[in-house]
Parts: sequence; structure tokens; C-alpha cells
Amino acid sequence: MSSSSGTALYVHVPFCVAKCAYCDFASRTPRGEGEMATYVDAALAEIGAWRERGLLSDVSTLYFGGGTPTLLGGELLRLLAGIRERVTLRADAETTVETNPETTPPDLIARLVEVGVTRVSLGMQSFDDGVLATLGRRHDAATAERVALALAASGMRFALDLICGVPGQSIASWRESLERAIATGAGHVSVYPLSVEEGTPLWRSVAVGRVSEPDPDVAADMMLLAEELLSAAGIFRYETANYARPGEESRHNTAYWTGVPYIGVGPGAHSMLPAAAFDRVALAEGWYGEPWDLAPGAADAVRVRFSVGSDIASYLHRPTCPPAAASFLTAEEVTTEDIMLGLRMVAGVALAGVEDAGLTGVLESLTRDGLLEQAGERWRTTQRGWLLGNEVFGRVLDGA
Amino acid sequence: MTDPAYIRNFSIIAHIDHGKSTLADRVLQLTHTIADRDMMEQVLDSMDIERERGITIKAQAVRVMYDADDGHTYQLNLIDTPGHVDFTYEVSRSLAACEGVMLVVDAAQGVEAQTVANALMAMNAHLEIIPVINKIDLPAADPERVRHEIEEALAVPADEAVLTSGKSGVGVKDALEAVIARVPAPVGDPDAPLKALIFDSYFDAYRGVVALVRVVDGSIRKGMKVQMMATQTVTDVEEVGVRRPANVPVDELGVGEVGYLITGLKEPALVKVGDTVTLAKHGTTEPLPGYREVKPMVYTGLFPIDGDQYPELRDALDKLRLNDPALIYEPESSHALGFGFRVGFLGLLHMEVVKERLEREFDLDLLATAPSVEYHAFTTNGEMVALHSPQDLPDMGTVEHIEEPYLKATVLVPPEFVGAVMELAEGHRATFKDMQYLSATTVDMHYEMPLSELIMDYFDQLKSRTKGYASLDYEYIGYRPSELVKLDVLLANKPVDALSFIVHKDKAYARGKMLTEKLRGIIPRQMFEVPIQAAIGGRIIARETVKAKRKDVLAKCYGGDITRKRKLLEKQKKGKKRMKNVGNIEVPQEAFMAILKVDE
Repeated sequence: MSSSSGTALYVHVPFCVAKCAYCDFASRTPRGEGEMATYVDAALAEIGAWRERGLLSDVSTLYFGGGTPTLLGGELLRLLAGIRERVTLRADAETTVETNPETTPPDLIARLVEVGVTRVSLGMQSFDDGVLATLGRRHDAATAERVALALAASGMRFALDLICGVPGQSIASWRESLERAIATGAGHVSVYPLSVEEGTPLWRSVAVGRVSEPDPDVAADMMLLAEELLSAAGIFRYETANYARPGEESRHNTAYWTGVPYIGVGPGAHSMLPAAAFDRVALAEGWYGEPWDLAPGAADAVRVRFSVGSDIASYLHRPTCPPAAASFLTAEEVTTEDIMLGLRMVAGVALAGVEDAGLTGVLESLTRDGLLEQAGERWRTTQRGWLLGNEVFGRVLDGA
Repeated sequence: MTDPAYIRNFSIIAHIDHGKSTLADRVLQLTHTIADRDMMEQVLDSMDIERERGITIKAQAVRVMYDADDGHTYQLNLIDTPGHVDFTYEVSRSLAACEGVMLVVDAAQGVEAQTVANALMAMNAHLEIIPVINKIDLPAADPERVRHEIEEALAVPADEAVLTSGKSGVGVKDALEAVIARVPAPVGDPDAPLKALIFDSYFDAYRGVVALVRVVDGSIRKGMKVQMMATQTVTDVEEVGVRRPANVPVDELGVGEVGYLITGLKEPALVKVGDTVTLAKHGTTEPLPGYREVKPMVYTGLFPIDGDQYPELRDALDKLRLNDPALIYEPESSHALGFGFRVGFLGLLHMEVVKERLEREFDLDLLATAPSVEYHAFTTNGEMVALHSPQDLPDMGTVEHIEEPYLKATVLVPPEFVGAVMELAEGHRATFKDMQYLSATTVDMHYEMPLSELIMDYFDQLKSRTKGYASLDYEYIGYRPSELVKLDVLLANKPVDALSFIVHKDKAYARGKMLTEKLRGIIPRQMFEVPIQAAIGGRIIARETVKAKRKDVLAKCYGGDITRKRKLLEKQKKGKKRMKNVGNIEVPQEAFMAILKVDE
């Protein structure tokens, strides 16, 4: 692809030390050392296939997510080296590795710097051991702080994930987590209100009354407090849930919200390509029709979103399978989607684009409800709008 | 035509779930009316809803030929009746077409309220009662106890009760032999003018109204000119026949025979259950006794969730009515809900069944308001206004008094639950009349109570407070004066007409408070604060507030999974579509039924 934004490459590592109580992503405990090596081979095979189709010749960001990529240990370094052999990474490419405190020994950090990782995202969630226990996390606050400070000392950019609205989490505990996170010198902080996903252990605990349901009003207060403390520390919101010092925004995640094509590798990973590029691959690989049961999208589709099946065993067996699901979006749907995603960003969306999409009326009604505001030539989300994002996104989708 | 000596007309009556339909299935199999390979469960219940819920809504008549032990072949007409109290009148007409009944009692459950009610109806119709103790192969079966209960509760000699299992077919032949031996052959005058009873009817899209009839005197043939006596409608007989269970035309139906009658009449209102068919000329002047107009007892507003579906709802009601003449409706408009219909039903089951059929067979999304009864308001100038909806209540300044329908309720319950039933009665304005022990395990309690209290969750509460043991039956005993007031509900300071209801003045405060609390839990948080108030004549008696929602966001957008986000938003949108917009407030359907669910 020759677009100036390049392509974002996401690699999903589906292994963790153990599953957290609230997690519904594709991940599990690896079955022996051998399985991790098999996974690395599979992911490299899949990346090789994409490369052969000419879609990874200009990769602007590379992101290892999971799961826990660092659980791979030395295999992660082999994976990264293998990717460098197969794809063309831009010289200034952002390369992020997600990690958890319990899988980040000090020597690993140094090795990541050596192999060109530019950014580490630490899933530490909280500095409160009680909250960490409710979430079913495997580390404690002291370990998290030690790893964060080691990251700071390494000179690499790093991000911290924090979760609010956890049953049993007090405002004071949240304030302390925010303050200690700021004190580590992190350049990027993500703030997620806990959502209880069906089928997770946490969901079962809530269903039987062992854990109380998250209180949305408390989560609202915590989201407000996060913005207040983080911005006072020079870490500003740039997206619904993401805050960064200027220049330290995640370029990879920003790609998802700004229409940049991305390819997701690994079980359960998601991709988005222009329809023409997708069609070229699908026809060459024989994905359409028998035996894969993937129907070609409408002729007027301009964008395709698709995902790899989330079953780990079958991925390891056959990494280059056709997508488990694909949705084909028309130009009109793409415009609406871009506006919806644009309103997740602090930058907002241009008045003119909204007018062209015929959504001015919808955005005006959202403005009347205090969810949006006009600032210069752009529509922007308000404080109330950040908290009631579903109202914004839902009405934009509806209005189309 | 069969010699009446070899005809037996009987019905199977039972409390719900005692195995009536399964037993009927076995009779059809035993007499080779239906080949084993064509057999499915509940053959006579042809509607999906009947099969799914295990209930009978429409009466059915099927003719079977049975080779009896005495060497003769008998024509048996089995009339399957609805089992539920809502359809009591239909049951009584079905029974009037018979000379005997099999009274089926579950060998484990024993005698229950509808067993008693059905048996009393059969006795009033002077029918021979053959007790059948069914499900004897259940581990908990106790035929001796049940035999004792039948004798105690019904004063029916039970030493000759037949023991059966509808499941295995054991004893079914014995039951048929008992019918031959004990149910009298029909008696009638073949030379007298035609006299036939319509005990049910249904609508066929090609043939018009098809009546199920029992010939009492004379005979009925194709080509005759006949008259429906109550509606004074004269018409030609296009076809007569018998049901096996598919329609099979015959030349003639004679004395004692049961079958169907097609006249070409297309208007169900002209062919009424309970009416008598006679000759157009020189017919009888004496109609069969017992005819009456069926009156709806429970009313509710039915509104399409999507206002554009109003014409579809009207067409659907028109179509359903063809098969259900007891269904009545008139257009109703509500400020809150738009255009819909006020619909009258025989009872709550009838209401549920109709709503379900409208949604299922006609693909409509409907909102039902809380059911109410027909109140009678007497104005100061002596006029009576029948209220089918709380909105019909005239200005209270002009109302002298209001009356409401009362009923006699019979509750059968094990002795340990008598206290619980008493307590429940107190909360529902029920007056205790008397009670008697039918056996060591069953007490028969009688109450008089307003119908409006019965439809207020009484049956569900009765079931839950007696661990499911209590059974209930009731009959209407007329109107009585009551001190009633209209309670209004306001959302965001605007009255919502569809939420108002009529309530006894002593209960108004408590019900208003409980309803507002209930609504606070049901109405989801909106973009703004929503006050919920209950008011009587402009005076606020209760208030709750639904706080404005503050946080509703899917913050995590993981690994570019935008599709999942869209799906969640679409799911949310679908949930909203199931709600009704009242002003700018999204109100879930159950809000309109909440008044029925307030616990005392």
C-alpha cells in the first residue's frame, strides 16, 4: 500500500500466565514451551502470506498485543526479528509491546530496547492490591511500581493502563493510583471504566451476587477525576479513554480511529483494508465461495473489516485461514463510521465533512443535549459527551 | 345414520395438566382413527399455542368407531373441551352436547379446583360421571387417596374408577368400556322438527363459518333451509359431516349424532355458540336451554409499538375475531401511546393467548396496558356509564357511586397453607365465606372478591405462597358498590393516560407508592432526570425520581475491533426499539404492566 499513512500491523499473542477475571479476549495459558514456538512460526507464516500479497511493504506502526506478548520471552525476540526480515518497517516506525508487571524482568526491558522496541504498554490497572485481586490480576502494586520505574529508567516511552469503576474501589484508592501513575513519569495513560463482559468469571461473580455490579455514577466521577489530575500533570486526553503528553500519543491506536488500514495477525485479530486490496487477496487466496463460505461483498463496498478466528488451536494448525468474519462497508457507511470514530478523538470532526454526510442535524441535536460543541470549523465532544459516548456514537450511526 | 342405541357422546374433563389431551390421543390410536405413524402429541389441539402451553382453547369433536367387548361397533363422539375458567361458557355448551364425561384426575396430584368446578358443571348438566384416575405409573401415584378425595370432594362413587396411564395406554380400553356400559345412549325424537345445539364454531377461509353441532331431535341434511334461532338467521345447509378428526362429509346427521355444519355464512357473529339450529319453516319454537351472550370480563389497551402498524393490528384483530367471536374491540387513542384498540377478553389467559397470536401469527410488536375490569359508574342523574378504561371515568363530581364485578373464588389447598391463603385474601379485599376439609390433605376454601383484585397478580401470588399446591377456580356473582378512585401517573410532570388505573380508595396510597417505586426500577436512566409521580385528582401522593444517566460509554476499543463496537451499539438500538417513546422518555413495555406486579 502506498498511502502516506502506511499500514498498521497488529500481532496478537494469545498467551497469558493465567486469565484475568474480566478478560474476554483470545488468550490462555500456553501448553508447554513448544506451543509458544509453534505460535511464533504460525504468526510469521501469516505475516509472510500478507507480505507475498504486497500488503506489508510500508508498515508505519507495529504493535504486539495480547494476551501477554512478553510471556513469549526469547521467542518474542525471534518473532520481532522474523517480522523485520519479512516486512518493511519505516525508519521512524512506532513499535509497541504490551506487557504485564509479572512478566517484565529488568533484563527483558534492556533487550527490548536493543531490538528496536520504542514503546512499552504496561497493563498494571491499579496501585491497590484489593482492586487487583477483584480483577484477578497476578501482580501486586509494589511489583507494578517497580516495573514502571524500571521502564522510566530505561529511557523508553511507556504507557500505563488503569481501570476504574471496579466494585470495591474507592475514590481515594483511584486518586492514589492516578497520582502514583503520574509520579512514575509515564508519558501515556489509558483509563478504562470496567465493563463486565458476559461469560467471564467476573460476570459470573456479579450474577451470583459475590461481587456487586459496577456503579456507573462512581465510574463517571472517577473518569472526571482522571481527566482533572492527568491534565494538571500535562497528560492530556486525546481520545475517549487515552491520555498522553503531547507527542506521546499512540500512533498505532490512532490509526484505528482515523481510517488508516491495518492488518491484525494472530487468533482473534482484526483487520481493515480498502475493499480493492481485500478483494485482490480474497480472490488470490480463494476465500470467496466454497469451501470457505465467505461471500463477496456488495460491489459498492469501499472498506472491509475482517477478523481471524479466535480458536488458538486451529490458528496454530493453519494460520493463513480465511477470515472468520468480514463486513463490507459502503462509502456512505464509511463516512458515518469515520465521523463516529472521529468523535472519539479530542480533535473532533470537520463541519464540512459532517455536512456532506448529511449528519449536521444529528450533531446539532447532540449539541442541544450537551454532548458536543462547535469549536471553530470542527465538532468536538464535550465533557458530558465523553461520559455518554454511546449516546453520541449510537445516534450518529442511527442518523445515517 | 346410526341407531342412537349405539352412540355415546362424552367429554373428557380435567384440571390442567392432569393428562386429558394425552388420554384423548390414546383413544384415537386405540380406535385406529389415526394411524400410529401419523400420531403426534395433543392431536386435538391444533393451534401451536395450544400444543406449546399444553392447553386447549377451542373445543373439538371427533368421531371414533369402537369395537366393544359386547360384539357391537359403537359410534363414540369425543368432545374435547377447553379446560380453563376463562372458557367456562364454552365448556358448559360442550357438556350440553354430551350424556357423560370422563373425569380425569391425576393419580399423584389428586382433586384440584378445576376438577371440582368441572365436575359440578357436569353434575348440573345431569351427566354420567366416570372417574378416571390417570398417570398411575407415576412414582408418586396414590390411587387410593385420590379415590377417597373424589368421593369426599365430589360425592361421586369412586369404587368403580378406572385406572389409566395416558402415557403407556394402560386402562384406556377399560375407560371406553365404562363409557359404553355407563353413559346413556342419546334420546331424541327422529320425527320431531330439527333441534341441534351449536357448541363451537370456527372460521375456514374457503368455507366460511363451520359450526360444531349436536343433533337433539330430527335430522339435518345438505340442502335444507335452516334457521339460527337466537340470531334469526336463515340459511341453506351446504354440507354436513363428521370429524375424524379431518372433516368427512356425510349425507345426514341424525338424533344423538355430533358433527359439523357448513352453511356458507361468512359472519361469525351470526353463528353463535349455544344457539339452536332448527328448520327455517315449521321449525321448533322451543330453543335448547342455556343460550347466553358471552361477555368480556377483562379489558386492555393494545397498541402497536411502531405506530405505523395500526392498520395491520386492525386487520389482524378482524381476522382473529373470525375464529374467536368472544373477542371484542374498539379503537382507542392514547396521548401517550397513540392509536390502538381497547380489547375485551373472557379472562387473563384469553388475553395472553390473543396477544401472543397477534404477535406471532401477524408479526406485530404490541404493547399491552394493564388489564382492567368493566366498572359501572352511576352518575348523579341516575345514568350508568360502563368503563372499559380508566379514561372513561366521568368527572368524579358527577359520580354518585361506582360498582365493580365480584366473583366467588374456590381455592383448594393442603391444610398447611390455609394461613397463607387467608393472609393473601386480606391483601386482595377478599371476604372469607367458608371452608371444608375434603380429605386430610385438601381443604376447600371459598371467598368473595372483586375481579379487579384477582387480576392483580392474585393467582401468581397464590401459587408462590402455597409452593404451587393451591388451585383456583371462580365464577362471577355480579356487581357490587365499591369506593373506587382513579389514580394517575405522571412522568416528567406530564400525566401518562396509559398508566392510570382505578383502585379502591383504601389501597390507593400504598399502590401508588409501590407503583412509582416499581417504575423507578423499570424505566432506564435517560439523558435527563425523570420524576415519576402518582396522583389522585391532582393531588400528588407518591414521587420517585429516575436520575439522569451520567456514564454510558464503551471506552475500550481493543485491537481495532470496530465491528464489535458497532454490534454493541446496534444491540442497544434494538433494545430501544422495544420501548415506547412517551414524549421524549423511553418507557419499556413492562412499565405498563407494573401495576400487576406490585407486592402487597
